[in-house]
Parts: sequence; C-alpha cells; structure tokens
Amino acid sequence: MGLFKNIFIWWDGATIGTAWHSLRKGRFIAEDSSGNRYYESKKGPRRRWVIYASGKPNDASNVPAEWHGWLHQTVEDVPDQSLPPARAWEAPYTANLTGTGGAYHPAGALESNRARARASGDYEAWSPS
Amino acid sequence: MLDDKDRIFTNVYGFQPWGIDAAIKRGDWDGTKDLIAKGQDNIVEEIKASGLRGRGGAGFPTGLKWSFMPKESKDGRPSFLVINADESEPGSCKDREIMRHDPQKLIEGALIAGYAMRARAAYIYIRGEFIREAETLFAAVQQAYDKGFIGKNACGSGYDFDVFVHRGAGAYICGEETALLESLEGKKGQPRLKPPFPAGAGLYGCPTTVNNVESIAVVPTILRRGPSWFAGIGREGNQGTKLFQISGHVERPCVVEEAMSIPFRELIEKHAGGITGGWDNLLAVIPGGSSVPLVPAAEIMDAPMDFDGLKELGSGLGTAAVIVMDKSTDIVRAISRISYFYKHESCGQCTPCREGTGWMWRMMERLREGKADISDIDMLHEVTKQVEGHTICALGDAAAWPIQGLIRHFRPELERRIREYAGAGEVLEAAE
Amino acid sequence: MPKVTVDGIATEVPDGATVLQACEIAGKEIPRFCYHERLSIAGNCRMCLVEVKPGPPKPQASCALPAAEGQEIFTTTEMVKKAREGVMEFLLINHPLDCPICDQGGECDLQDQAMAYGKGHTRYEMNKRAVTEKYMGPVVKTEMTRCIHCTRCVRFAQEVAGVEEIGAVGRGENMEITTYLEHAATSELSGNVVDLCPVGALTARPYAFEARPWELRKTPSIDVMDAVGTNIRLDSRGREVLRALPRINEDVNEEWASNKTRHAVDGLYRNRLDKAYVRKNGKLETASWADAFAAIAGAAKKAGSKVAAIGGDMVEVEALYAAQKLLEGLGSKQIEGRQNGMDYDASNLAAVNFNTTIAGIEEADAILLIGTNPRWEAPLVNTRIRRAAKAGAKVFVIGPEIDLTYPVTWLGDDAALAADLPEDAADALKAAERPALIIGGGGIMVPGLQAASLALADTYNLIRDGWNGYNVLHFSAARMGSLMLGWAQPGGTADLAAADPELLFLLGADGVDFEAFSGAFKVYVGHHGEQGAAQADVVLPGASYAEKSGTWVNLEGRVQRGNRAVFPPGDAREDWTIFRALSDALGNTLPFDTLDQLRDAIAAEFPALADEGLAEYEWAPPKLSDGAPSGPIALPIKDFYLTNAICRASETMQRCSAELIHGEEFAEAAE
Repeated sequence: MGLFKNIFIWWDGATIGTAWHSLRKGRFIAEDSSGNRYYESKKGPRRRWVIYASGKPNDASNVPAEWHGWLHQTVEDVPDQSLPPARAWEAPYTANLTGTGGAYHPAGALESNRARARASGDYEAWSPS
Repeated sequence: MLDDKDRIFTNVYGFQPWGIDAAIKRGDWDGTKDLIAKGQDNIVEEIKASGLRGRGGAGFPTGLKWSFMPKESKDGRPSFLVINADESEPGSCKDREIMRHDPQKLIEGALIAGYAMRARAAYIYIRGEFIREAETLFAAVQQAYDKGFIGKNACGSGYDFDVFVHRGAGAYICGEETALLESLEGKKGQPRLKPPFPAGAGLYGCPTTVNNVESIAVVPTILRRGPSWFAGIGREGNQGTKLFQISGHVERPCVVEEAMSIPFRELIEKHAGGITGGWDNLLAVIPGGSSVPLVPAAEIMDAPMDFDGLKELGSGLGTAAVIVMDKSTDIVRAISRISYFYKHESCGQCTPCREGTGWMWRMMERLREGKADISDIDMLHEVTKQVEGHTICALGDAAAWPIQGLIRHFRPELERRIREYAGAGEVLEAAE
Repeated sequence: MPKVTVDGIATEVPDGATVLQACEIAGKEIPRFCYHERLSIAGNCRMCLVEVKPGPPKPQASCALPAAEGQEIFTTTEMVKKAREGVMEFLLINHPLDCPICDQGGECDLQDQAMAYGKGHTRYEMNKRAVTEKYMGPVVKTEMTRCIHCTRCVRFAQEVAGVEEIGAVGRGENMEITTYLEHAATSELSGNVVDLCPVGALTARPYAFEARPWELRKTPSIDVMDAVGTNIRLDSRGREVLRALPRINEDVNEEWASNKTRHAVDGLYRNRLDKAYVRKNGKLETASWADAFAAIAGAAKKAGSKVAAIGGDMVEVEALYAAQKLLEGLGSKQIEGRQNGMDYDASNLAAVNFNTTIAGIEEADAILLIGTNPRWEAPLVNTRIRRAAKAGAKVFVIGPEIDLTYPVTWLGDDAALAADLPEDAADALKAAERPALIIGGGGIMVPGLQAASLALADTYNLIRDGWNGYNVLHFSAARMGSLMLGWAQPGGTADLAAADPELLFLLGADGVDFEAFSGAFKVYVGHHGEQGAAQADVVLPGASYAEKSGTWVNLEGRVQRGNRAVFPPGDAREDWTIFRALSDALGNTLPFDTLDQLRDAIAAEFPALADEGLAEYEWAPPKLSDGAPSGPIALPIKDFYLTNAICRASETMQRCSAELIHGEEFAEAAE
C-alpha cells in the first residue's frame, strides 16, 4: 500500500493514524482467513480493533461471526481456542453483499436476470410464420 | 309366565325340522283360506283389537299401520309389503330364529298381512350376513310356492300374491325402513326424508308397509286364536307374547317367547338361570338392544318388560334384546364399544350423525381411559343432545341414547376415572 | 295457497311450497348447504332446521317440510339457534382450517354461515379427518378433505347433466364423494359443480390459486362459444379475464354454463393479434394502422364495387353493421355470415329460428331431432330437452347415434327419413299436443332437408295457437344477428366467390374456403391469428367478446348485450371502430362516432335489434322446391372443446379435448 494512497484513502485499509497507533499501542493478535488483522491494546483498558484486509472496503460485515464475538469481548481468547470447531454443515462466512454485484434480488426484480414472473394481462401474440 | 299352549313360535329352538311338512303339522297354513276369507278390513280390525305393537323396536300399533295403506289404487300403482329381516341390532337375534326354524310362519303371515293391506307382493329383505337363514328362507318360499300357498291364487283364495327374498349387503342402517327401501331399489342404503311416508310413496314410489319379521309372523296365530286371546296376555297397551333375547352375564343366555310385561327378575330366573354371581352382582341392563339407554340394576330388577314399563325408566323395550351386565363389566368400555358401532354404521348422509357419532366415540374412548376433564362429560352430553332429534332417521337418536343413559346413571364412575387418571399423572410427575 | 306465519309474520305461500320457501317469502334467511332451488331436495345438511308448530317438539328440516295451512314457523328461537350452532359445529369439526389457501375463500357458504350462525369457538380437540385426493378431470380441482357431503354435485350430475358419474362411496365419517372409478367427469356441464359446491372441495382447476373474489372486477357479458347466448359474468383483474361465471337468466341458461363457456377464457391470452400486418413480397410484416389502411385503400380503389365480406362465428352485431355500411358505401351488398359455406334459405327469419324458445322446449311432449347433437351444439338446450324427456316427452332422432343423456328413439341417419317418417314417430307427433322439431346444423346443410323439415312442420301442424314447434338449432353466436342484418346470400359463400370480389373483408372468419377467393385482396379483422389471418393480405387486430361491448342474438332470437370487461391487447381496437376509421381512409366516412350513435343507427334500420329481449319474427316459411333429401347426415361439430379460435387457443380446452374426447390419460401434476 503506497503512502500516497494511505494518506488520501480512508475506505481501504488503515489510515496513517490508525496504522501508527496500532504499531505503537497495539499488539497484533491474529489474521483471519480473509486477511483481516486483529489488534489488542498493549496496556490500559483492554481495547480490541481490526484492520480490514487490503482490497476490501472498510465494512464491519467483513468480520466473521467468530471474530465479531472476540472484537466485542464476548470471548476472552481468540476464536480458535475459545470456540468449538466449525461444523461440517456451517457455510463459510460472507460479508453483506448489498450494493455489490452479488446482492440478492427477488424473482421478478428488474436487476435479476431471471425471466419476469407471469403477470395479469400478459398475452402471447400471434406472429405470421 | 306364558303357558306352553299359548306359545306362537313352537319351533323356535329348532327341535323339529323347518320344512313345510313339519310346519303344517305344527299348525301353519291351517285354514289360511278361511283367514283370508274374513276380508281385508276385518283382518286389520282384528289386528288392531289384538293390540299388537310393532316388534321392530318402535312399538307402533301394527293394525293402525296397515290401515294407512290405500284402500284402492287410484293411479294403478300396486302396493307392497316389505318385511324387515335386516336384524342387525347388537343383542337382537329373534328374527334369525324365526327364519331358520319357523319360516313358514313368516311366509303365511306375509300372505295374510299382504292381503289385508292389498299388497301385490311381499319383499323379505334379509340381512346379508344371514347366509344359512337366507338359504332356509329361499327354500321355504319355494316350498310354499310348490304347495300353491303363495303365487297365483294363493291357498285357493283367488288372491295372487308373490313373496320375494332379497339379501342385503350388511349395513345396519338398512334396517331403517326407508333405507331398506332404497337398498331394495338397488341404491345406496340411506334413509329417505319423511314425509312422504312409505304408506304414501315407498318402494318404487308405490304405497308400502314395512314390518318386522316378528310382527308379521305372529299374525296368522292371532287370527286363528282370536285377537282377544292375544290381547289377554300382558298389560293394557302392551299385549301379546314377545321373543326375548337374553344375552350377557346370565347363566344360560337364550331366546325365549314370553308374555309381555313379565317382570325382569322372573324372566331371568325362569329362563336364563339367573345372573352370574347372583342378583347382587347385577350392574346394569340394556333391555332392548344397543340403541336404548341402559338401566341400572336397582331400577330394572322388578320392572315389567314391556314398552311402557321401560319407557318409564327412561329406556325402551326396543327389540327386547336384553343385555345383562354384571359387576365385572367395564361399563364405560361397553358403551364406548356401542358408540363405535354407531360410528361405524352411520350412513353418512346427514351431518349431525356423520360427524357426531365419530366425535362421541372418540370422547367415549377418552372417558374410558379417564383422559379427559370433568367438564368433558357435560360437553359429551351436550353433543349427544345436538345429535338427538336433528337427524333424518333414528340412528342419530340411537347413537345418543346409550351415552345419555351412561352419563345419567354412571356419572360417578366417569368422574372417578378422570380423577384417577389425573391423580396417576401427579404421582408420576412427583416421581420424576 | 296455505297461509303460514313466520316469526309472527303472516305469509301466504304457493301450493307445494316448502317451509324454507315460506320463510324466504316472509323475508327470513334460512342457512342451508344441501338445498338448491334447481336440484332435488336431499335434506341432509340439517342446517335449515326451524321450529314448526304444530309438529314434534324438535327442530324440523325446513327444506323438506311442506308448508301447511296454519303452520307457525319460528326461525329465531333458542331451539333453532342451538340447532344451527350444533350443526355448524359438526360441519366444522372435520373441515380443515385452510381458508387462507382455499380458492373458495371469500365466496364460501361455509365461511359466511359459520360467521353468521356458528358458535365462534371449537370444542373438538381430536384429529380431523383427511381424505385422499380424487381426480375429477381437467376443469374440476378437488380437495375432498373440505367436503361437507351436501351431495349437490351428485344431484347435479344425475339430474341436470344427466350423467351418473359422481357419487358417494363409503359410510359415515368415511363417506367420500368421487367420480366413478375416479375417472374424469366427462359431462360438458361438469364445471357447474364448482359453483354448486358450498365449500372449497370442488374448485375450478384452471382458476386455481389465480385470484381472490374481492379483487376481481365483475362485468356482465354474453358468451359466444355457442348460440345459446349464456349470460355470463366476466371476472377480471387488471387487463386479464380470469374466469367466466354464469349469470342467472331463467329464459336462457338458468344458472348453468358449459365448460367451454367457463374455461375458454384462457384462450384470450394466446395467439392474439395485437398489431396490424401488411403483406409485402408475400410475407406479412408488422405495419402501423395508417400503412395498413393505405394498403386497403389502394386495393379498394382497384376493386371498385367488387367488394365482399364474410362474417365469422363470434362477431357482434355492431361490427357486422359497420362493415355492412362500409360495403354499401363502396357499392356492394356481397355479405355472408355463414363462413362454413352453408346455403340454407334464410329469407324468412322465423323459419331459421328456435321458435319454441329455449325455456319453451321443456313443454314439448314429442320432439324430433334432425341432424343435431344438442349436447355439443347447445349443451344448455340439451338440458331443457332432457327435462322435457324426463317429463314424458318422446324424443326421436334422425342422425348419427350419440348419447344425449336421455332416452331417445333412433330412426336412423338417412336424411330421406325426414321425408317419410317411420310410423311410431309420425304417430307420436300427430298425437302430441305440443310437438316440436329441431333441425341442427348437420341437418340443414343436407340439400333438401330444410324443405323436408318445413314440410313436416306443415304435415304435423307444428305451428298452432300459442305454439311454434319448428326450431333450427344454430351453433354460432353470431348467426341470428347476422341473419337479422341480412348477411345471407342464397347460395352462401359460393355466391360471393362467384361474384369474384377483388377485396374481401373477413370478420373473424377462419373456416372459409379460401381457395375460392384466391384472387381477392383479403383483409382480416379479428382477434386470433389462425387460418384467416395467415391467408390475409392485411391483418387488422380486433377485440374479442370480452374486450368489447356488443350485441349478440342467440338462437331463439333473443337480443342480448354484453359489456367490455377488459381492453384489447396491444394495438387492437374494437371492431366497429376499425371499420369507422377505415371508412375515413377510404374517403367514405360512416355516420357514427360513438357506440351509442352506432346503436341508434342500427335501431333505426333494424328496430328488432333496438332493445334487449326476444325479437319477434313473422312465420312465413319460404316455398322451397322439394329436393328429396338423401344420404347419411353428418354432424358439423367434431370436437366440442375446439369449435372456435378462442377455444383452440385455450390450453384448458385443448386439454379437455385431449382428455375427455380423445381419451388421453393425463397424470395429475404433483403438487
């Protein structure tokens, strides 16, 4: 991440202030599967924060459920150690897709590419063959 | 107590052959021509005078019923006599004995009764399950034809009369007179709306009288011995002799011909050898087949067994199918079983009976186990009231009455079961 | 006329009325399920219980009890209230609570009456009964768990439809209504059981889960599937007609409608003409109205007065009249309404009319059918004939042997029989007080048979005081209207072909012998693309019967008006406006701008069409030369469900045809 970008862009990665603070006051704890980095304050009241993986927008829903619990101090230890292992049937975590191309559209919505549901007054026209 | 000389059904136990020759020896078909020669109106009058009441359960005066038939056909429609031999009431087994041991009495009665109501023919609708009885009856009718007693110029009287035997397919409801007619016509056995009554438009739309087997079979003897003889037996309004069918917890269950109005105790002592375990062991009696309410021991013991006497006890004589239950009986289960019978036999035509019989049976099953609430007893009673009197035929009433009888006389027993079940539940919970 | 009192209201009722009818006369509503005015009395739902004095001290079923002099009837007493609540409770214990997904919801008798007469709560805690699904064919969807065993459908099938297909099996709680061996009900009237069913046990299969009754716009209209002119109500939502239901008209359809009338409406949304087309280089290409009119104007200039028009089977009087005036403006009177080439003599309207009237045929006591299958040509006339037959009328048939649902005497299918009736038929007609003759499309097509039938009318004196027993049974909704306007040439369409027109208008006419008009410039005005549109040089999209207000004359000469339920699709317009606009393009403007002006013009020229109701025709049969008819008679309708363009486009009708007429097996779609 270039310095220039770091100065001017706030929606991707940590700003300079956050990065400096993390380096000085924060203790790096772990990085999750999608590359988010988690920090805890070295001293004082225990604070926990995350620096989102590069290339992803700074969106809170990027944090997987288990790290959400850690961030909010629901669990003491890192998820790998404090939570039961993931079940086979658990789907991988996805962030909120609203506003992206993968957003959900109900059947019949104009954005979806599916055929429109039949509606009142639809008709099949004759065409000469 | 009926003297042997006054018995009408002399071969009810089948000690003698049922064939026509033996029947003639016993006195059947004796002077039938002379009986017919009395004339139609006289026969009806004599039956009226004899006080004979229908033996099928309702107890409607037979002579009166015959007099409803048209005196002459205005539009060329013939009249018919239909004999209801669809004896399916649980507990009843009298018609069966008549048909298999004394069929000629029935056939002779059919001729005379048919003549008296100016019927063209008699149809005997016999219950489908009665296979041997039907065989006997078919043979007996053929014998009567062979002797010239029925058919063209029956008994030389100049009257043409046919007797047809028709086998049912085994449905209790076909014992109801209009359902029987429907079934006889080849349709689904479902009662018809009344009016019109069968005497106006019955079988194939023609005037029809439907009589029980026993009502018809006693007719020749009444006419031979005179109505006053018959009327001299039993109480006023309940005259004559009657076939009682005693079943259940008695020493010797039996079918026996007795005088009407005989006290219950005498009937049981004389013919059935007493109650098992003695009279103190008697719990309740269903005096007239499954469709009448039961009567508890104390009330029935000295009651006269006739239409009016049992009506006073809130029950009825019905077909005089006496079902005796001693104290070993699970009375709730017994009534529940009867409820199941009515649920099974409801024809399904009209709503209260179709839906109500099932509901009543299910409630009875719950009460049997005690798996209910005290208020459910009142609800069940209300449901029986909702069925009773709201249906096309009397099956709805018949399904409601046994339960009403049970609730009337054995409510403490029902409540005991409910409390015990609830109590058992508490104990179980405590153990956990 | 017995006098009774209903809740203290003294009421005089007609002889033979029931207590229920007496209550209705007195203005008291009696709830009922099994009772129906047009069916026999079953008395099995027990919902109509009332208290009657004198009588036994229990409530009585009012539907089955004759009203008698001096009766006191009570409908509001405690006994009656309890009886109704009791019966309603019993009906509901085994009725599923699936109103939210039930098609009957909103028009359900049980729903309404449970609200009005029910207890409001349940005391039944056990399981409800469930019934396995039954199959009743392509128009009736079943959900027999909802059935309350009123047996209306059973009685309808037996008494009105005349087919013993529906019945009850089982006893008591296990009683189930089903068709014979669960085959599809084959009656062409089977759709009526849907209306009769007071609950959602029988619902319309094509309409399943389509709409709720309260969101539908109801438009009174006239059916054009056959010539009966069934009074219907078109239920539409937005731009779509979702269903057609019969309206009550005692003189025409009572309250029945054939399956075709009910379920052909889905054909309105397939194969539609929604744009104008003009043939360019041998191919039809879409065009604007102006281009299409210009093309016609060009052809008209060339043609001069060599113009002709053929009317189709479903066209209304207004369009025919507008076209007729357009042609008159061009100097032509070459108009013909019988598209299939029939050429019977139509010079006297009474001689081609159903003179006895539809209701009147019930009174006939001897009926001779010649070359007709009323069951397919006019199902609701057939029910009337059936009723006459049930009342003792003798029915004789000359024509192919078919099942007409009532006993008939087959005389044979040789047309010559009409000229020389067998003795029994002749005797019966002679002895009858009200003899009737019905000659159908198959009969009147046979050369000489019309003359022979008119001769029969003379011989057997069919026309007498207050009775006209001579009937022609048409099967096209437009027929009588077009004949009244004079759309008939002596030789039928052959006359038109002989005149060799250069411009030919086809008003929804598809079954024309197009070979004969190969030289003409053909303009097709209609709503469905079929043979007619494919053959045309210009196609102008018109409106179907649901999309225009129109006048139709049914087979008995009854003028009836239907209203527009929805708008035509795409560029399509109401037919008369097309001719009005075209007249502008041809420089020969028609003198009406609104429907009212058009109708006034029609009324001025044809007073019989001015008002709704039975038109009167003077009986003056044409003198026809006795062409001795001979040869076997064939019936014109080969497939009841596929008789016109709308039916043929309808998926429901195609399935009915395949399943009910051609006997194909359809597995029910798994739900």
